Amino acid sequence: MSSSFRKFLITRILLTIPMVLILVSLIFFVMRVLPGDPIRSQLGPRVSEEQADVLRERLGLNDPILVQYGNYLKDIVTFDFGNALTQGERPIKDELGERLPATLELTIPAMLFTSIFGVSLGAFAAKNRKKPIDYIIRLFSIFIYSIPIFFLGLIFQIVFGVQLDWLPLSGRMDSMLLTTFQSTTNFYVLDAIISHNWPALWSAVLHLIMPTLTLGLALTGVFIRLTRANMIEMLRSDFIAAGKARGISEKRLVYHHALRNTFIPILTLIGLQTAILIAGAVLTETTFSWPGIGRYLVERIALRDYTAVQSTIAVFAFFVAIISLVMDLLNAVIDPRIRY
Amino acid sequence: METKREVVSDSVPEWQLELDKVGWLRRLLLARKWYGGDWWFVLISAILLLFIITVGVFPQWFAPFDPREEVGPSLLAPGEEAPGLNVLVLQDSEAQAFADIATKTSTIGYLMGSPATQTIRDTVSTLNEQAEEQGLGNIYQPRSTRFETLEEGLAALNAGEIDGFVGSEEELGDTQIGAGGYKELEILSGSKATSFVLGTNQIGQDILSRIIWGTRIALIVGLVSAVISFVIGVPLGLISGFIGGTFDRILTLFMDSLYTFPGLILAIAIASVLGAGIGNIIVAISVLYIPTYFRIVRGQTLSVKNELYVEAARSLGTKPSEILFRYIFPNVLPSVVIIFSVNVADAILTEAGLSFIGLGLPPDTPDWGIDLARGQDYLRRAWWLITFPGVMVTLVTLSFSMLGESLSEILNPRLAEL
Amino acid sequence: MERETLVSVQDLSVTYQTRIGPVSAVDHVSFEIQKGEILGLVGESGCGKSTLGKALMRLIEPPAEISSGHIIFEGEDIMAYDEEKMRDFRGRRTSMIFQDPMTSLNPMQRVDDHLIEAIQVHEPKTSREKALERSSVLIERLGIGLNRLGSYPHQLSGGMRQRVMTGLGLVLNAQLIIADEATTSLDVIVEAKLADQLREIRDEFGVTLLMITHNIALVAEMADRVAVMYAGHVVEMGDIYTVFEKPMHPYTQGLLGSVPSVELNDRDELFKMPGEPPNLTHPPTGCRFHPRCQYAMPICSQLEPDLTKQPSGTLVHCWLYQDHPDKQKNTLKA
Ligand SMILES: Nc1ncnc2c1ncn2[C@@H]1O[C@H](COP(=O)(O)OP(=O)(O)OP(=O)(O)O)[C@@H](O)[C@H]1O
Ligand code: SF4
Ligand SMILES: [Mg+2]
Repeated sequence: MSSSFRKFLITRILLTIPMVLILVSLIFFVMRVLPGDPIRSQLGPRVSEEQADVLRERLGLNDPILVQYGNYLKDIVTFDFGNALTQGERPIKDELGERLPATLELTIPAMLFTSIFGVSLGAFAAKNRKKPIDYIIRLFSIFIYSIPIFFLGLIFQIVFGVQLDWLPLSGRMDSMLLTTFQSTTNFYVLDAIISHNWPALWSAVLHLIMPTLTLGLALTGVFIRLTRANMIEMLRSDFIAAGKARGISEKRLVYHHALRNTFIPILTLIGLQTAILIAGAVLTETTFSWPGIGRYLVERIALRDYTAVQSTIAVFAFFVAIISLVMDLLNAVIDPRIRY
Repeated sequence: METKREVVSDSVPEWQLELDKVGWLRRLLLARKWYGGDWWFVLISAILLLFIITVGVFPQWFAPFDPREEVGPSLLAPGEEAPGLNVLVLQDSEAQAFADIATKTSTIGYLMGSPATQTIRDTVSTLNEQAEEQGLGNIYQPRSTRFETLEEGLAALNAGEIDGFVGSEEELGDTQIGAGGYKELEILSGSKATSFVLGTNQIGQDILSRIIWGTRIALIVGLVSAVISFVIGVPLGLISGFIGGTFDRILTLFMDSLYTFPGLILAIAIASVLGAGIGNIIVAISVLYIPTYFRIVRGQTLSVKNELYVEAARSLGTKPSEILFRYIFPNVLPSVVIIFSVNVADAILTEAGLSFIGLGLPPDTPDWGIDLARGQDYLRRAWWLITFPGVMVTLVTLSFSMLGESLSEILNPRLAEL
Repeated sequence: MERETLVSVQDLSVTYQTRIGPVSAVDHVSFEIQKGEILGLVGESGCGKSTLGKALMRLIEPPAEISSGHIIFEGEDIMAYDEEKMRDFRGRRTSMIFQDPMTSLNPMQRVDDHLIEAIQVHEPKTSREKALERSSVLIERLGIGLNRLGSYPHQLSGGMRQRVMTGLGLVLNAQLIIADEATTSLDVIVEAKLADQLREIRDEFGVTLLMITHNIALVAEMADRVAVMYAGHVVEMGDIYTVFEKPMHPYTQGLLGSVPSVELNDRDELFKMPGEPPNLTHPPTGCRFHPRCQYAMPICSQLEPDLTKQPSGTLVHCWLYQDHPDKQKNTLKA
């Protein structure tokens, strides 16, 4: 590891801090500065002003705004978000800790699916630019992009869950199995493998198929576009022409030279497109009653649990910063111009 | 060693200059050859959009019913006939039509929980309206008796306790009409129509009318929020790129973080504070796209700013505002048009998403997202509840994003990475 | 010194399909390249030099196409080759050095991988070690330290990268090297050094070099013969001394006249070519140079001259040196 690379790593990691700070502050000010009273909206109009004030006092909402901001930042740094306001008032930290694995179990395979499927289709379209297959792939990507992800999920549910009855409609595992299932990591697939619980594994995998496919497919539209656009740029570059003049086959030029170079802008863009992944995850979890943090957010919104909502969104901000960091680091690993 | 170096002509090729001499109509037609499939994409999406916008502006021309009114039996499948209700009387009865047994002195029987309740009420009120027109006043108002079982009802009919019995085919089962000593007066349909092209939902609203009126909501949210983002994002980008300095740096930092932040989540945060309502949703969504305009416009402003002809104009003492609007804005415009159409598509998707998780519009609004969310509960029984609103969201988003995507392929392939 | 013919280009045309019609960037060009020579190809920007160079390797891509002609390489018409044979041809028998050394190497690939790939693509059975061994001689000869082999392109200077490009062109012992403004982006010193090296390599390996350039002084210094292109035509071609001493085509005269020479003290004599380069979508009829030519005759705007051989051995494409029964008449029958 060269010293300049080390320097890059350190700067990049340090840069994450202001990014998180900005995002987290953004949420704070959106939720605090915008007109509208979260407490009122939670308690409803029937509760008296005194009662509302008690709650405000308890949550520190009567403090000066800067004090509130300070406390909020402290909570985030210590990962202690306090307790939820509703449904048993569990500590939000515990709840999120339990649900994060569920979200990851859904998003990681979906990302893998998209990366393989979307990138190869995009590269193929770029290679055949302006040919019929290019238009077909592009139409497919626009189409996929235009379907609301939850509608895609509902269609899958109707077709595979109801009509064909191949796959379970929702949840992470059969409720029968769930009663005896020991979950240590909260990654059900992992837990099932560790405990050699094969029926549970089968059930967990079956439950995963539809949500993953939904999220993966929905992301594919974006991936095709990104890959295709960047590949086209890359295929126009001089080193591709030079390679061709050296007798390197088109296939090798496209899939070896151009594609490898295209990964660099794509990784960066994925970092920027985390938004789509997270929005997708929230909607997919809602559609399939998948107990991840996205679903938690939606549940708490319905309950108007203002603390839980704010904390969950802050966790999403972390998510964004971390994915963008990981993408940049990956980039550094594959791009020799950064590595050396 | 001095050598002659000609300027390498990587500027505008001659043929492109020549292009400006061609009239715009011919250019449009010629374009079909140059751009192949993309030209067709633009054409198809433009036609689709024209249609969608017409529907959105004049939903009353297209929708057969009021989207909020219960116009038929609930959960009627697309094209399915609403089950009619038979009116049975004894064979020797003098009654010739339902009107004859609907007077104030008659009694009508039906089963408990039967759709007959609603239907009888509707039919009677129609009869009264007609009577009213003839100046007869409110003469129809039959008494009614509910029965636990069919047998009890028929027994009452036989005994003359009731003048007629109303029941659906299903409820009457294999009752022998003629042989059993009964006769059938007429079939009451009750609802406004007997069949609905796209079926009805769980409370008997017409799905076709709902998705047609939903178009208006979607277009309002999509277009208004896109216009707001545009009106804020473009000038900010222009000014920030043009002025530069600290102002630019701070604004860019802020916009970049806003850009990375998941749009839906931010919209959720804003909407959950502001509460339901179309104005609030529009505000929440328009915030999301401001950074996109900002980034693109600022980037292009920076690059155009340094081009020769702008430098030249500047050195000739042209006013900054004039440079901004005469030279820079026209250059930025094509990309902005592309972003706008993608923006509308995204806004419609986001609105549907917000409504789906219950943060959107008031629950009685004819809105696709709301219909989708409500339809999910009837997934097993009624596929049409979610299919049609979903198809509509897809269709409208598709038209806008197809327009944006193919325009960007035509105008500027680099933009595709947005 | 008469040499054997390596490449014979016959009636070659390349057409770009553009939005307002076809552009003939190379228009019915015929000429020969001889074994072991350095042929300079000069002409204004946009006259079709690069297009011609690419056409020689059949590297023309849509929207352009080779619309007519034959390219006879060592007696074989490469226009008849299928894609597979063409791939083998490129790099092994003819190779090309591109203008911009900064962007012509894959940024993700190390120098040695470039070399090994070039060899293995054509000789899949060669092992990495063998391939490296083979290229290292050449690499050292080009003045690239062996310790540079593990570098990525961005770690090398422009001159160094251009040498790597040159090495890639030579590593398979291609007979014809097409250098398309290979030295243009380098500074004068590095340019001269690379040019020297190219000539040494020619002498040593006996390769043939087609040197496309704007730098007429460089051509004068290095080339054996020179071809002058104007608006898609080769208008003059011949021995370097003959052409530079006694340019025959009015365009060549103008081109050489507009080169400031160190010996030329009287600055006023610098000749400026009047007019603009032609628009190739609607090229001038007849001789394409006639709108700018001070010797233009009536026939010039109506009929195209042939490329004719002059007693000096030079080929010229001009009515001044060709007879036609109606040459002096004002009106001609088409
Ligand atoms: N992609 C293209 N589309 C349309 N016309 C093109 C294209 N590329 C080149 N041309 C046209 O072909 C002609 C020849 O171009 P070419 O690149 O061969 O010129 P050149 O002599 O190499 O110029 P330079 O000295 O600037 O490199 C030019 O007139 C140009 O307008
Ligand atoms: S043919 Fe005529 S116009 Fe062309 S160069 Fe010769 S003299 Fe000039
Ligand atoms: Mg060139």
